[in-house]
Amino acid sequence: MNIGIGLSTEKNPILAAKEATGTASINIYKEKIDLAIVFSSVDFSCPALLRTVSLYLQEGVPIIGCSGAAVISNQGIFTHGLVVMLLNFPEGVYFNTACVKDIKTKMPLNAGRELGEKLLYAFQDAPRVLSLIFLDGLMQEGSNFIYGLQERLGKSFPLVGASASDNMRFFRTYQYFNQELLTDSAIGILWGGKLNFGLGIKHGWKPLGKPRTVTKSYGNIVYEIDNEPAAKIYEEYLARDMSELQKELKRISILYPVGIYLTGEDEYLLRNIISIESNGALHFQGNVNQGSTIRLMIGTKESCLAATGEALAEAKKGLSGSNIDLGKRKGFALVFDSVSRYNLLRRNAAKELEIIKAGLDTDTPIIGLYTYGEQAPLKAVSYQGQAYFHNQTITILTIGT
Amino acid sequence: MFGAEYLFNILILAGILTPISLVIALVFKTEQIKQLQTAVDKLKKSLEEMDEQAKLIVRTDMELNKTQEELDKKVAGLYALQRLSRAISTTLEESQIFKAIEAAYIEELGFEKACVFLWNEKENKFVSHLNIGYSQDEIGKIKTFVGLDKDVFLDLIKSGKTISSIVVIPGSELGDKIKNVFTVNAFVISPILPKEGSKGFFFVGTENMDIAITEGDEELITILSNQIGQALENARLFEKTWRAQQELEKKVEERTRELTYALEEVKKVSKRKTDFISSVSHELRTPLTSIKGYAAILLEEKLGHLPPEAKERLGRINRHSDELVHMVNGLLDIARIEAGKTVMKAEEQDLKNIIDTVYDLILIQCKNKNIDLVLEVAKNIPLVLADRSQIERIFINLLGNAIKFTPQNGRITLKANRKDDMAQIDIQDTGIGIPPDALSSIFEEFYRVDNPINQEVKGTGLGLSLVKHIIEAHKGKIWVESKFGKGSTFSFTIPLS
Repeated sequence: MNIGIGLSTEKNPILAAKEATGTASINIYKEKIDLAIVFSSVDFSCPALLRTVSLYLQEGVPIIGCSGAAVISNQGIFTHGLVVMLLNFPEGVYFNTACVKDIKTKMPLNAGRELGEKLLYAFQDAPRVLSLIFLDGLMQEGSNFIYGLQERLGKSFPLVGASASDNMRFFRTYQYFNQELLTDSAIGILWGGKLNFGLGIKHGWKPLGKPRTVTKSYGNIVYEIDNEPAAKIYEEYLARDMSELQKELKRISILYPVGIYLTGEDEYLLRNIISIESNGALHFQGNVNQGSTIRLMIGTKESCLAATGEALAEAKKGLSGSNIDLGKRKGFALVFDSVSRYNLLRRNAAKELEIIKAGLDTDTPIIGLYTYGEQAPLKAVSYQGQAYFHNQTITILTIGT
Repeated sequence: MFGAEYLFNILILAGILTPISLVIALVFKTEQIKQLQTAVDKLKKSLEEMDEQAKLIVRTDMELNKTQEELDKKVAGLYALQRLSRAISTTLEESQIFKAIEAAYIEELGFEKACVFLWNEKENKFVSHLNIGYSQDEIGKIKTFVGLDKDVFLDLIKSGKTISSIVVIPGSELGDKIKNVFTVNAFVISPILPKEGSKGFFFVGTENMDIAITEGDEELITILSNQIGQALENARLFEKTWRAQQELEKKVEERTRELTYALEEVKKVSKRKTDFISSVSHELRTPLTSIKGYAAILLEEKLGHLPPEAKERLGRINRHSDELVHMVNGLLDIARIEAGKTVMKAEEQDLKNIIDTVYDLILIQCKNKNIDLVLEVAKNIPLVLADRSQIERIFINLLGNAIKFTPQNGRITLKANRKDDMAQIDIQDTGIGIPPDALSSIFEEFYRVDNPINQEVKGTGLGLSLVKHIIEAHKGKIWVESKFGKGSTFSFTIPLS
């Protein structure tokens, strides 16, 4: 595999695209480019950005990517930045890209199914290895989208994804598909053939207080916990009334998410609150099933950084059997880091990247972005590798051939 | 039979024992249940207690995080402020101050949008000087808003107070309006108040829904605005001083040009004067020589006897001709020196030797007036570089003057000493002295001090001028000190070889 990455912090999106793609083109040392992955801060999201990137590529080379609150590259974390990764795969590796638009109208479940069908199209019976998706981070029922997609790709089929984010305004996120600047959409890529990957996903939050049961919920809305209005759990623990909770919702959501107990998994599945209804119902970013056992979770900077190390170790472990030397540009690492972690770590946010860089072979190309949600499979046998919608995690995906 | 009875008895016994054992078991179980219930209650209680403890932990953690967050923000803000202050305080150009405020600094302060407006008195409007994070369209809308609501911002400047999205502005929807026009969710506006020149305001804001403005933010932005104000003040003062200096330099240049021109004119006039004197003197000398020659022939009566009256008149002609010749020669000498036509021979001379020669020449005149002539010549004076005949002229002239203005029985002291790389000669007399108002003019041509001796004794008024010219041609200096009625000291220097 040949890989070239380029970064730009130029203010003008066209100049930035020129600089980043130009650098990536020089770095790849190959004329033939198979795929371009583009991540940018939301201020770069405009059609000219993708048009400029495509100028450096031969006609028909797919571009996939999305916007983020900040982008990650070997050089650092940039709240105004653009990273472009150009890839040239060896023979025996094949892939298909697809997108689904107007998710709200189609309903997430159907949209997920549609993306699955489009990805599978032309694959037929060929062996599949991994799928990667970029979703609109403001999608209300992300879990349903995943269900839909898995209905088509298979429940146990490895699925990793990132929910696009904006500059913490929660106003609009963008998805990049070829030369199209999309929103309310999802982009996917399905790989097949001789591709290897390793995945690590961790958050580092710990349960606190007694276990509680979700007694009434529908999709991502939890109405009652232990037969009382769901918001009461936060009112009790934080000693704050509803109006105070509303005011400090972002902070509370990041620091004290709800953790869903999963049999056999060492970490709880985290859920961030998006909003609180006046009747005390809590809207989460992912689904919370009725009957689930939940706990209030607490995280610290230290536990957060420790989780980064653990996620990296797992990602490396997954790839270690294939004897791939990432340092010789035989592979690369994709990092999807939750914006919640960025907000919690703040000045120490760069430490996560330092941990990743220190743990990987020198010169391993790294690109990534800060997300509003992450999608990855659970490991426990009982879940059979089924992918879930996560919050607050750092997801590290290493890919090599 | 026996068997049946036995069985019956056993059954009766069992019938009695079973309820008993059942009762015992029941009692035992009940006890166990009680114990278990107690244990469960205990566990429940511990769980509830633990949950209460968890609540305490969460609340404490929440406060701790909040404090930590504010602290982090403050530290980052202060760090950015320090770097920004350094950047703006090192510039002395008004436009450069705003260029120093880079987007990166504003971001470190926790904002991504910023602008500065300064009030332009002449145009009666606010002018934008900084724009970070806005497109041309957006800043255009902001300009319009600031223009329409200028009184609000002028009042803000007048009040000198910082406003922000957490401060409720009484009686107005300004907060929401600002959020809308400046497209932010949180903002701080602080007045820029330099003592000199136009004032304005500094705006910072963020779209980030997650950032709440704190009093700390307000303080930081107020400090930064003050720094900008101070930097503007410095730049303006510097500009003012620089301009004043430029004007002064211009004036000095003009004045120098005028003076140079005037000097050139003076030089031209002086040269013309010298040339005129030189030519007139030459023209005068030829007829004078004839007059004197003929007068001498007549006086010698070579052409026949003369009556005594005629002889006396001829004697006067001869005497006056001598005086005239002397004057013309003096004028010619000055003119020559001024024109650089007289070449001073720079030869090594023994000052002592020159003084001795002059002493011999002048001694008789001293004796005639019974004047005591004292020589105080230091022994170690090295040779001087001078034209001997000219130096002798200086001595004769100065000593002659001293004799002339020193009454009978007076005293003249001639001192010669070494002063650095010069020889200094002082000629001190006990004469009538020079009035203070005449001291500055004494070396000018034709200047004669108004005193009884000068009225009595004739002179050209050229002697001291000639002496000054000769000394200056030797690169020496001459000056005089005098106490009117008590005597004078003429001093001059001649360079050592």
